Amino acid sequence: MISSPSPLSPPLYLPVTCEIISVTDLTPHEKLFRLKRSDGRPLGHLPGQFVQLSLLGWGEAPISVASSPTRGELFDLGVRRAGSLTTALHLLESGDTVGIRGPFGRPFDLSFLAGQELLLISGGCGLAPLRSLIQYCQDRPERFGTITILYGAKSPDRLLFKDELSSWEASQRFACGVTVDSSSDTGCYDGTVGLVTSLIPPLTLDTGRTVAVIVGPPVMYRAVIAALKQKGVPAERIIVSLERQMQCGVGKCGHCSIEHLTCCQDGPVFLLSEIEQLRGAL
Amino acid sequence: MKQLSTHQLITLFASLEGGWDVRLPVRLPDGTRAMGKLSDAPPALLGGPLPSKPTAAFFPQEEQVFMASEGEIRPSPTPERPLLVAGFTARDLECLRFIDRFFATAPRDDLYFRCRETALVAAVTGWCGPAGSFMKMAQGGCDLELVRDQDEWLLLSYTEKGMSVTRGVPHRHDEGRLERLRQLSTTATGADELLLRSAAALLRDDLIPDSFWREIGDRCILCTGCNLVCPTCSCFGIRDWRSAAQTQRSRIWDSCQLEGFMREAGGHNPLGSEALRSRRRIHHKLAADLLRWGEISCFLCGRCDAACPTGIGIVSVMKEMVSRYGKTTTYMTQEGVSTVDRSSRIR
Repeated sequence: MISSPSPLSPPLYLPVTCEIISVTDLTPHEKLFRLKRSDGRPLGHLPGQFVQLSLLGWGEAPISVASSPTRGELFDLGVRRAGSLTTALHLLESGDTVGIRGPFGRPFDLSFLAGQELLLISGGCGLAPLRSLIQYCQDRPERFGTITILYGAKSPDRLLFKDELSSWEASQRFACGVTVDSSSDTGCYDGTVGLVTSLIPPLTLDTGRTVAVIVGPPVMYRAVIAALKQKGVPAERIIVSLERQMQCGVGKCGHCSIEHLTCCQDGPVFLLSEIEQLRGAL
Repeated sequence: MKQLSTHQLITLFASLEGGWDVRLPVRLPDGTRAMGKLSDAPPALLGGPLPSKPTAAFFPQEEQVFMASEGEIRPSPTPERPLLVAGFTARDLECLRFIDRFFATAPRDDLYFRCRETALVAAVTGWCGPAGSFMKMAQGGCDLELVRDQDEWLLLSYTEKGMSVTRGVPHRHDEGRLERLRQLSTTATGADELLLRSAAALLRDDLIPDSFWREIGDRCILCTGCNLVCPTCSCFGIRDWRSAAQTQRSRIWDSCQLEGFMREAGGHNPLGSEALRSRRRIHHKLAADLLRWGEISCFLCGRCDAACPTGIGIVSVMKEMVSRYGKTTTYMTQEGVSTVDRSSRIR
């Protein structure tokens, strides 16, 4: 009557200990944590996946992996201070330990992306998970066509990974567009001002070869998708990575349901055509 | 077939307590029937479905995931004795089968199966329903079935576990009696099943307007009783309880009717209104689970309708949906029954 467990099944809800190797301030609100599993094993993730970050006494939170598996056994988590757990995390330093479960979720389909011209669009914290894919593309240049990165943040001081943005902009490998919604807070920013959607109309796209990937705050998706469709990119060639409040990461807790799908197992990476008709997906 | 008087049956349960953690319906001092131990309160096998969630035996309201102190994590220990849980109705067993399947689907939920794996499940059926009414026989889907008939309990074992606990009970041959009870079970009415399918079809075809869910949402007082008693509701949250010496991580039932159920760290809330949350409660059971699991996950146990203080349990809502938006409506007229096609009004 009851199926038997596989002897290889690890306990679902027990975190693995990780050491914080370094902590870097990305913005006044976001930090980058470089971690290493204490058992010495690699995380074993693919770009687009997330972990359940565990802090004893505070619980767990889903955090996207911000580095590529091609970068070795260390892995990065970009974390915005938004609640009690992330506030406690921001107080930790190198040498401290945290727990993780995962990696979880459906990653970017690298075989689908292979040979395509990639248009990678992110807003705010969305650059963290997209950085994993960007690094992967950097390390496997032969697999992909041209790569365009569009990134928008609220203000100049909220831009993530500024050094890397500069290196991507300078690189022959990438075409890069960066914008901020408003620059009134600071006088030393001389870049583009406007929503990230304003970077799309000037692009020249081969819509038969272009695959767009969107990662950002919920408010961004509809506007970016509309702009892409205006350019002729079909829903089958638009990929979104969705944020939800995953509490278990393994499709059981119900917090990330999108109609009949679970964001933590069926996503967080979806083809737009899979979810655009589902109530509440976007 | 084996049969026992109520007294003999309770004596049998008591004799099993050395090897099993026996849970069965008991009557609490305030008159409520609940799942409990023989040492808690007098047994109360008669009376039909328990008001509380029967699957809580394996998916309790709060469950320890692990304890941690000084950086060491200790998983929750496996209970010393396996559970023997009696009191499931035939519909409850359908619910149990569904959540067994839910938690078994990869990745398998080891926390759920820590107690479920070794448990013995006993159905209680026959002439034991509310006011002595007949409860449909389960005829499988459990280890043991206790069928009430003529002041006696017929014991039917379906598994080795079931046989092991009834081994000492003498066998009696009375197939005719059992056959009559089986016949009664097959003639149980299926009116609510038709309602269930009709309501599911309306959701599948997206024929329920948002205004309907606003009405239902306006009547919801966020008590979450519907979720807390539902045998197939399995949503939970993870919580840490800190003390000076240690941390306990638990999983605790959660309710999709609460405002913060899906609210994200950034503030976005995909279920940001009572209307959306009311829709989810019904849509999830009747349409989303049908797509994901191939079956509707409401088995019409009636608990949410009994628990809801404002009359918006799932059967009540389905009746409103079908009566207002159903493609056909059946009226009683002077000439008899008349069915009217209302599909033109819906579109």
